[in-house]
Amino acid sequence: MTDASWWDLVLSRSPAVLLLLVPLPALGAFVLLGLGPTRLPRPLVRLIGLAGGVLPLVFLAPLAFATLAEGWRPLVPIFTLEVGPSLVDLALRLDPLSAIVALVVSSVGAAVLSYSLDYVAKAGMAELRRFLALMNLFLAAMLAMVLAGDSITLFLGWEMMGLCSFFLIASRVTSQRAVAAGRKAFLMTRVADAALLAALLLLFLEAGSVRLDRLMQAGLAAPETRRMVIASLLLVGAAGKSAQFPFHSWLPAAMTGPTPVSALLHSATMVASGAFLLALFAPVLVAVPPVLWATALLGIGTSLLGAIQAIAESDVKRLLAWSSVSQIGFMLLAIGVGAPEAAVAHFVIHALFKSLLFLAAGDMARAAGGSTAIASLAGMRWRRPLAFFTFAAGAASLAGLPLLSAGFWSKEAVMGATFNAPHAGELFWLAGLVSALLTAAYAIRPVLAGLRPLPAVGSTSASAPPAVGPLTEVPLVLLAGLSLAAGLLVSPIMRALGAEVAHLPPLPHVLTVAAPLAGFALAVLLLSRPRVAQGLVAFRKRTRRHSVDALLVVAIARPFGRLVRRLSRHGAAVEDPVGRIVPGVLAALRDAFTVPLSGDPIDRGVMALVAPVAPAAQAASRRHDGQLRHQTGALALGLLLLMAAGVLAVWA
Amino acid sequence: MPLPLEDVPLLLLAMAGGLFLVGLVGLLVRPSLLFQLLGLELMLAGAALGFVAAGLRAKDGLVSGQAMLLLVLAVAAAEAGLGLALYLRLGRAAGSDDTDHLRSLHD
Repeated sequence: MTDASWWDLVLSRSPAVLLLLVPLPALGAFVLLGLGPTRLPRPLVRLIGLAGGVLPLVFLAPLAFATLAEGWRPLVPIFTLEVGPSLVDLALRLDPLSAIVALVVSSVGAAVLSYSLDYVAKAGMAELRRFLALMNLFLAAMLAMVLAGDSITLFLGWEMMGLCSFFLIASRVTSQRAVAAGRKAFLMTRVADAALLAALLLLFLEAGSVRLDRLMQAGLAAPETRRMVIASLLLVGAAGKSAQFPFHSWLPAAMTGPTPVSALLHSATMVASGAFLLALFAPVLVAVPPVLWATALLGIGTSLLGAIQAIAESDVKRLLAWSSVSQIGFMLLAIGVGAPEAAVAHFVIHALFKSLLFLAAGDMARAAGGSTAIASLAGMRWRRPLAFFTFAAGAASLAGLPLLSAGFWSKEAVMGATFNAPHAGELFWLAGLVSALLTAAYAIRPVLAGLRPLPAVGSTSASAPPAVGPLTEVPLVLLAGLSLAAGLLVSPIMRALGAEVAHLPPLPHVLTVAAPLAGFALAVLLLSRPRVAQGLVAFRKRTRRHSVDALLVVAIARPFGRLVRRLSRHGAAVEDPVGRIVPGVLAALRDAFTVPLSGDPIDRGVMALVAPVAPAAQAASRRHDGQLRHQTGALALGLLLLMAAGVLAVWA
Repeated sequence: MPLPLEDVPLLLLAMAGGLFLVGLVGLLVRPSLLFQLLGLELMLAGAALGFVAAGLRAKDGLVSGQAMLLLVLAVAAAEAGLGLALYLRLGRAAGSDDTDHLRSLHD
């Protein structure tokens, strides 16, 4: 199978080739909308954007079903190249992990693209095309990354996602804040991507192949120090994309982008792909206990940090962004305690409820005239009932409301695995319990704000929100249903990946169940006091000044800027020392040889020989008078001479 | 007395050369773009006739000479279209169709 090309697969009529079709509709929509030179009518543009978002799910669903239910493991080679002893063989593959993640990505992608047609309904034609093209390009890149069977396709998809993220955050190009946020996200993830690239290249050097399964074997067989370097680099790469400490600050800034972008890229799929990457390379990580331990520590630390920041946040989108940071921390914790299956289960559930939360919040923000402040959600219970109740369903899932919500089951799987971890499991579990409590406390804040009655001033204009169609309502209702009911999927997902849900002893179990309820109670009790609210505002201001961002600016960005200025011409004693080397050497040569010899008789003799060349050149130049007839005549004359030469050559 | 069949291609070749030469001379002596285009057409016709004559002489049973004629016709049509467009453009831009004045690339 490895040496066969995809065309052989077509000839053998293997259904595996269909795997190539999965990212293609989204890529095609990007090419049509983004690169197509023709003018398209508006309904057609919307149709192409929607088709590119929905068709991957249609193509993928039967293939993923065959993989999950029948144990089918297709592998489609795309391109094979032998470089010396190494083999560069690109391929797409489907196994339970990639099937589950790809299903989630394509379903959330379909829902968000459908929603975004309403969201950008009033945008200008060029803006609409660019937005839909980039969303589709992102979807294609993410699907290629998830389905990749080799490290090159994986990294290509990974980088394309980062690029789309930059473009989409900065999609309001007139806003300086949006462009700065996009640049920040791009630079911070780029630093981490370099670590990922280094890890993949080291694995390639070990394996001599780019196929993921061979990389995995080679990573396990590598010497201990090298394995440790590879695992740490993988962790850095995942932390950058997933906005984990110390890279966490780009994600809240990225919320300046449009809401569908936040729902698709910066919560459900792309940001969580760090967890997917670590779950993919879990066999290598498990073989390096220190890195595994660091992963768990990083995960739980970031989870607590994100939860505390979310509690103090006053903007609903930034609150959700901090909660993404926190929830992905939970996934890393699960991977760190050796339960990547629980991490994947939490990834699935988190993608469902977090995209729902963003979409519902975006709809409510539209009713509030574009403001995403939590305070402006007041009265949404009556003004936007559908968005409010679906948001409440998502918030219940985020908080892990016992039994009723999907988030409860996946979080319980993570907590169970953490408690049963071999080293310091109880400590990690306790920290996770605190984080879960804080999660419930911040998740309920926007819901409480929505229940508050509408302020009397200006209510007349706000009471008539613009209507939304089924393109918005259907995704909201579907995702809300899944956010509540998908808890049933947690144990099938873990079983498909070859693990069982770990169970807690009775007392920790009761505490885990009670944590969200305690968080709710805490939030209701404390947030009704004005002094607490003021304290939160002060806390937010203080943390902003002492944030990791400020540290990065002082420790890295400013010294780097000074170095660059010093090496360039601004404010430096020597202008561009490197650039002056070549002209300096040439000037020294001229002074040493040409200048002393220029009055020499031999030199003049040589110049006399050259003298007739210039008049001859001028004479020839005069013949080139640019007249059509003269040139044609010269052409005909040349042809005649050539023919005469030919005839002479034949006779001679 | 009728011409022997073997000599027909030779005669045709001579005619083709004549047509080509007439076209070339027209192209050289006329300064007007329209007449130069006519000259070009004559040269193409000469070349096409040359193909037909050569095809007759070759007797390869493939009628490749005659087939080339079709290609030449297509080229001539494209050339006429392009040339006439240039002619119109020149009339609008320079106000005359005298190619001797078109020397801005040289000056």
